[in-house]
Amino acid sequence: MRPDPPKVLMGVAVALMADVAPGLSAPFAMQSLGIAAGLLGMAAEEFDRAASRLVEEDRALVVLFERAAPVVASQGLASRLREAAARLVGVDLRVSALQRDNDVLRALLLELHVAIEAQPGADARALEEAIWDELRESTRRRHFSGVR
Amino acid sequence: MEAELARYLAHRLEGASEVTISNLSRIPGGASRETWRFDASWEVGGVAQSEGFIVRKDPPASLVESDRAVEYAFYGAFEGTSVPVPRMRWLEEEASHLGAPFFIMERIDGCEANTRALQTPAFDASRDGVARRFYAILAEIGRLPWESSPIAAVMGAPAPGDCWKRELGYWEGMIDANELSPQPIARAAIRWLRANPPPPPAHVGPVHGDYRVGNFLYTREGEIRAILDWEMAHLGDPLEDLAWSFMELWEWGRSGYPGGIVLTEDAIRYYEEAAGTTVDRDALHWWLVFSCVKGQGIWLTGARSFQEGRSRELIHAFTSHNLINTQDEAILRAMGRGA
Repeated sequence: MRPDPPKVLMGVAVALMADVAPGLSAPFAMQSLGIAAGLLGMAAEEFDRAASRLVEEDRALVVLFERAAPVVASQGLASRLREAAARLVGVDLRVSALQRDNDVLRALLLELHVAIEAQPGADARALEEAIWDELRESTRRRHFSGVR
Repeated sequence: MEAELARYLAHRLEGASEVTISNLSRIPGGASRETWRFDASWEVGGVAQSEGFIVRKDPPASLVESDRAVEYAFYGAFEGTSVPVPRMRWLEEEASHLGAPFFIMERIDGCEANTRALQTPAFDASRDGVARRFYAILAEIGRLPWESSPIAAVMGAPAPGDCWKRELGYWEGMIDANELSPQPIARAAIRWLRANPPPPPAHVGPVHGDYRVGNFLYTREGEIRAILDWEMAHLGDPLEDLAWSFMELWEWGRSGYPGGIVLTEDAIRYYEEAAGTTVDRDALHWWLVFSCVKGQGIWLTGARSFQEGRSRELIHAFTSHNLINTQDEAILRAMGRGA
């Protein structure tokens, strides 16, 4: 057993502020150290949750796309929305790979948003609200503790 | 850098000899240009002289891509006016002296720019006066007769009806160039801004571009001594600056208080009284949503420069981790789509 990476990163951040910062006198160096400690804290939080956050978001997007496919007027877009679920069966679980998948799905969400804004009808309006709900939720998923 | 500065000043200071540089140190902040303070001493005809200076030097990469000549011209345009600015001394476009272009200005001592100090009890008696003066200065910036100032030599004015298009186009371009991932929230805001343009301003005037608490020097008594950081200055709709000062990120933890020092409605009233105009609230709202998009353009620019290794400034990594999502949340709230 060894300390997990978030504990290590947070430990480094605490050590920097407790052991190194008091020895600094230059304001710029003190600011840089404070920023470094803050970055380590955020990296620690992101290390633990990144994969979960990305997979959770990808699943939510695919559910939204399955709902949207019968509503959008463009058949081409509808096809691509239906095909988006294939993104969820990737075997590469590195965060960088999950991020690439997420980028593809978020680009498709953006395209869907543009299309649905221009489309009349109650179904389109309801779908537009669902897109805004997802966008709100996406900010919640990315929120760092300690950031208001 | 002391030796390089001494050599440079020996050429710039008329009749100077024995130029020495001391107390050189980098100032925190300054995410767009490296900002350094130093003391210089020299002799002219055997008489000792000394002065404190600030040097603003171009970095390898920045949160904002800006023209130092434009910043220098805007500072210079307000010298001798009721808008307090430090006196500009030298603009140097040649990179060989310090490794990058730079400009040097006088240093104003005995002040601070701390964003949160104004919220402490020490400023209870003077805080409202600071806010009133802050927005009166903003009104004065917007009505400068810039055509007869150094600004006219570095840029032309957009037509009143084009102010919003020029700014939105520029910052949309910055997002296009710098986003590392799709930005569905900022893009939705941009579509809304294009579909709901503001009316043209009554006049086109100087816009500071980053007018907020944190970008001015003030004394312990609450006197504003200098408006700083003109690197995003341009000509446009003066309402742009008012809206920018209202952005959530600049509340410094005190929700509903621009700059953490004044209620929004009081700020608008102070501005209106000083400008002698009535603020169009719908137009102000448009510029607030725009400000959020511009902010995102800035954070994304810093993120890409760090990601690509063009910058090793930790502030760029920090703002991208900390502020891109916070800015998205602010966009949602500005559009009435917040939680």
